[in-house]
Amino acid sequence: MNRHEKAKNFKQVNHSVTKIDALQLALGKDSYVADFVPNDALIVKMLWSPHAHARIKKLDVSRAEKMPGVKAVLWYGNVPRIAHCTAGQGFPEPSPYDTFMFDKKVRFVGDRVAAVAAETEEQALAALEAIKVEYELLKPVFTLDEAMAPGAPVIHDEAEAHVPIPIPYEPKKNLVAHVACEAGSFAEGLKQADFKFDHTYETPYAQHCPIEPYTSMARIAPSGRIEITTSTQVPFHCRRIVAKTLDVPVQKIRVIKPRIGGGFGCKQEILLDDVTAMFALRTGRACLWQFNREETFRTGRTRHPFRIRLQAGVKKDGTITAINMEAINNTGAYGGHGLTVVSCAGSKVLPLYHCENIKFDGKSYYTNLPVAGAYRGFGATQAFFAMESLMDQMAEAIGMDPMKFRQINHIREGEGSPIFAALGEGREGTPMTVGSNALAECIVQGAEAIGWKNRKDWRGKTGRYRRGIGMACLMQGSSIPDIDMGAASIKINDDGSFNLLVGATDLGTGSDTVLAQIAAEELETTTDKMIVYSSDTDLTPFDVGAYASSTTYLSGEAVRKAAAHAKSQILATGAEMLGVLPEEVHCEDSAVVNSDGSKKVTYGDIAKYSLYQKNQYQIIGTASHITKKSPPPFAAHYAEIEVDTWTGFIKVLNYVSTIDCGTAVNPQLAEGQTEGGTLNGISYALTEEYLFDANGRMQNASFADYHIYSMRDRPPLNIILVPSYEETGPFGAKSVSEVSINGAAPAFANALYNATGARVREFPLTPEKVLKAIKAVEGKK
Amino acid sequence: MKLSEFIRPASLAEARKSLRQLGPKGMPLAGGTALHFMPGKTPVTAVDITRLGLSYIKQKGDFFVIGAATPLADIQRYRGPRWAMHEICRRISTHQVRNVSTIGGNIARVFPWADLPVVLLAMDARLVIYSGKEKDMPADEYFSSQPARLFRGGDLLTAVKIPVLKAHHGFGSVKATRNATAFSLVTIAALLELKGGIIKSARVAAGSGIPFPQRLKPVEAALAGKEASTAVFREAAAAAGAAARWVGGEGMSADYIRQLAEVSILDALERAAEFARGRAA
Amino acid sequence: MTKTDHTVNFTLNGEKKTFATRPDEKLLALLRREGYRGTKYGCGQGTCGACTVLLDGRATYACLLYAMQAEGRAVRTIESAGTFDNPSEFQKQLVAAGAVQCGYCIPGMVMSATALMETEAVLEDEIVKEYMDGNLCRCTGYEKIWVALRKTLDKQAAAPARARRKSSSKGSKK
Repeated sequence: MNRHEKAKNFKQVNHSVTKIDALQLALGKDSYVADFVPNDALIVKMLWSPHAHARIKKLDVSRAEKMPGVKAVLWYGNVPRIAHCTAGQGFPEPSPYDTFMFDKKVRFVGDRVAAVAAETEEQALAALEAIKVEYELLKPVFTLDEAMAPGAPVIHDEAEAHVPIPIPYEPKKNLVAHVACEAGSFAEGLKQADFKFDHTYETPYAQHCPIEPYTSMARIAPSGRIEITTSTQVPFHCRRIVAKTLDVPVQKIRVIKPRIGGGFGCKQEILLDDVTAMFALRTGRACLWQFNREETFRTGRTRHPFRIRLQAGVKKDGTITAINMEAINNTGAYGGHGLTVVSCAGSKVLPLYHCENIKFDGKSYYTNLPVAGAYRGFGATQAFFAMESLMDQMAEAIGMDPMKFRQINHIREGEGSPIFAALGEGREGTPMTVGSNALAECIVQGAEAIGWKNRKDWRGKTGRYRRGIGMACLMQGSSIPDIDMGAASIKINDDGSFNLLVGATDLGTGSDTVLAQIAAEELETTTDKMIVYSSDTDLTPFDVGAYASSTTYLSGEAVRKAAAHAKSQILATGAEMLGVLPEEVHCEDSAVVNSDGSKKVTYGDIAKYSLYQKNQYQIIGTASHITKKSPPPFAAHYAEIEVDTWTGFIKVLNYVSTIDCGTAVNPQLAEGQTEGGTLNGISYALTEEYLFDANGRMQNASFADYHIYSMRDRPPLNIILVPSYEETGPFGAKSVSEVSINGAAPAFANALYNATGARVREFPLTPEKVLKAIKAVEGKK
Repeated sequence: MKLSEFIRPASLAEARKSLRQLGPKGMPLAGGTALHFMPGKTPVTAVDITRLGLSYIKQKGDFFVIGAATPLADIQRYRGPRWAMHEICRRISTHQVRNVSTIGGNIARVFPWADLPVVLLAMDARLVIYSGKEKDMPADEYFSSQPARLFRGGDLLTAVKIPVLKAHHGFGSVKATRNATAFSLVTIAALLELKGGIIKSARVAAGSGIPFPQRLKPVEAALAGKEASTAVFREAAAAAGAAARWVGGEGMSADYIRQLAEVSILDALERAAEFARGRAA
Repeated sequence: MTKTDHTVNFTLNGEKKTFATRPDEKLLALLRREGYRGTKYGCGQGTCGACTVLLDGRATYACLLYAMQAEGRAVRTIESAGTFDNPSEFQKQLVAAGAVQCGYCIPGMVMSATALMETEAVLEDEIVKEYMDGNLCRCTGYEKIWVALRKTLDKQAAAPARARRKSSSKGSKK
């Protein structure tokens, strides 16, 4: 039996159980932060910097403070000045402490200047207009070249900027991070190559665009503690960072995460909560701050733009002899995630193909542009564009089918990569061999679905509309090994139902449901018996939060262990009730049964017995989990496009997205993750990008101007889940959420080449770029 | 734009009177979608003109007459003989906006990206303005500059008259966008009158990608009297550069937008010719 | 400052209501403060569709509509669409298809689909897409929402004929 066939025997896992909050949300019941705001809450509004780089010479809030309805104004003159990092990462963070609640300097258009809390939004906005600011304009830095230039303006010249762990950080040079490694010898490897390549790729600023904007509400509980209800992926990091920024004890803060209206990484950031909490402290009132869409675009987090130089050598037989990736990201005005995103550009990409000589150099630089952060794909998205574009070029050079070239080179089960050990997140990585890998099958099934065998070299074709097929292979990770921790507890109720308390954060992915399925599977009961409550810092165990593709794999295993812990107590009490030894009983269909099946007690009876009748105690399991591996999910993507060679417009005719996520705990939800990630990747590749004016101000801060797809744009999508079994994950599962976003850009670039011979190394593939590349090819003919 | 007052006049005359009295402090409101994006911090009084019987589409003689407060969705769904307006309306913004945004609102103030002025210019539509009594004027005059000049003293746009296409006429429009509901990069509309395969007359208009919608006279000149063929259309389209000042957008250069306009002109002409031929048979 | 010196009367989910308001208050703000919080704020720019309500049966962005514009009209919100005990067919299909991820867009989707089903007799894919093009979702890639919608429509089409307003060119009601 294939290992993954084990999953067929599961009763809860590997079943498309109905998402537990689906109906509540479809009915429009109160679910999100803004639904819980009392009508008398104060409304918070922020005065944003109109300048990309300036020092505040004078700031006068006195008139604003006296305006009608205004209850408090916050600015650098009346709040603690504590350097911190807004990125919700493990502690201490592998990111610089370069942010203050308010500062005398502004570093991008959309940086904080001063905030007002007033009875109404109109009053708050009116008060903002009464704040007088005098700026001393400083020379801004907008490009990587400007940031790196000797003598460049220093964006973080404050004395406090530092990194809390020993990693390279040189703010005087605008350098946020530097990480490098080499396995084998790139130079030697290149000597063995028959063909050598050296190309540079660029990727744009883009945004997550959750439909629920950033929203935070804080109030003072009757106990005097600060209670923050917030749309966050990282409630525990939120508590820690707010405590630090306000200089109040962690004990004084409770963070509640209700339902979240999407995050995709942007809510792995503490962007509002310090301000709402401070206003609550100052006013004693409930304070709501919700970004509008423009603010979400300008001040919210973004995807790091990258410049990637990729060099490689290949032999005629298809052996890749050497790879050198030099990746530089622009992290914008603040440095959270700068190091980790650039590290992941190497660590989530370079292990995919066999190569004995790999070199990586990653850097992150400040600029006076919007701040980049965590975004689904996290560096891998950008680097796979380079890697998979180059894979096609290498295949062409040796005259090999690009699919076959990938097939002979990709990593197999049982194999490791020196990159796993060399590149971690803020420190060295963790050596690892790949345990589960169905990439070979993903490639085959995807090729079948797209009709790869009918693909030809269509570059010689003429005519206005031309068809092309391209592909890309992908991987990601599942959690950050040895750093991330998830915990869960589970207790039984009178009727045999269970409270499952998890620190893990469901931001719309369905992780509450997935975790309930895992608990139910382990406990031999049904998912509907689980009452899930997630991520409330007062009530649930700790979890790092929803990021790094960790929830199913890491938090899921914590849940499985907690359930096993509860199960051992259920078995002991059941045996006591049946008058047999614990080793003579097992769990089956929500009951404890003796070995020959002649006697049984239900979980409900066991609960009542243990809670009310004899030797009373609470059956409660609890467990924590850290990982030693970060098993990659694998994917093969295929795109068929039609190019209008007169205008450069690309139409997606068909898109196949295969994925190996181990056991799909909930196949329907796993498909949903893959569909959403894939479509986001498609629009990112074709239509999404930040456009700036000469002063560094984003010009397209609305959905009318920043183009994400609607149902009318949706191309035919074919999602294929290819099973494998990851022994280290709960019931064979590994991650699913991120990997699918990485494929579209390289698959389209390769399809465009297949159709026209035009190679575009910078996306989005705007019609102008495509047309220009096509004309360049035609010019050569 | 901020509203300080909201009034609902009972008749056209009353609406005009209110707007006249209010002067710059008054603003006619139909769907209201454009108001949200208009600059201006001085609060205005909204004069609701949606309850004056201005929402209708009817065929009257040689014209389709569309009430100024008719939502775009209604124009999109309407079907009449040789009706051509639905194609552009289904490409404007989103369903929810098309449901409230009106034809009048789309042209009373001309935003650079608006599509309907382009179509109405090509169609040789007539615009009906109420100033105590109704009178109409050709689109060429109406769109010669920002129409605000026509609404002084409370005068109101009340209807749009679109000529019913004759058997040998054909209409085609192209709206080039990054996705289905995006603002236009280039909008082109073309009306061709064919006689025995020869172009008797042509009206070609453009919008988006230029500062203000306009007819492309050099393109039209290159068509008149010639055979309705791809070669002729292509040659005419090449006059786009000389016909208007193209500007870049969405991160793309003016030169690209001109190239896109040329292809869009060609496509619009092909569609118009097909329309003329197909229905003429 | 926030004088609510005006009133507006409209039918809300079938009940006649009078609300105090201001001339520039948006319908979305009024609905939410009055407890109809299933209608969501997503962009405030008339682009995302999370605030979609029905105005005289037509899908409309509540964030772009002044509350005063609703005078005398019929407004319907997601609260009218279904309940835990009796969800609408589309709500049932959304849940069954796994189409609800973060769920923030879903009430708006339900309202647009309601308008579609009540207005159009012929439900070809192109028409369906045109009715749904003003509701953005970032989680699902629209796949499962589409599946749920198509199933709902096909089920409706197969059901015995019932009162359905046919597509027509009539203008907005007085």
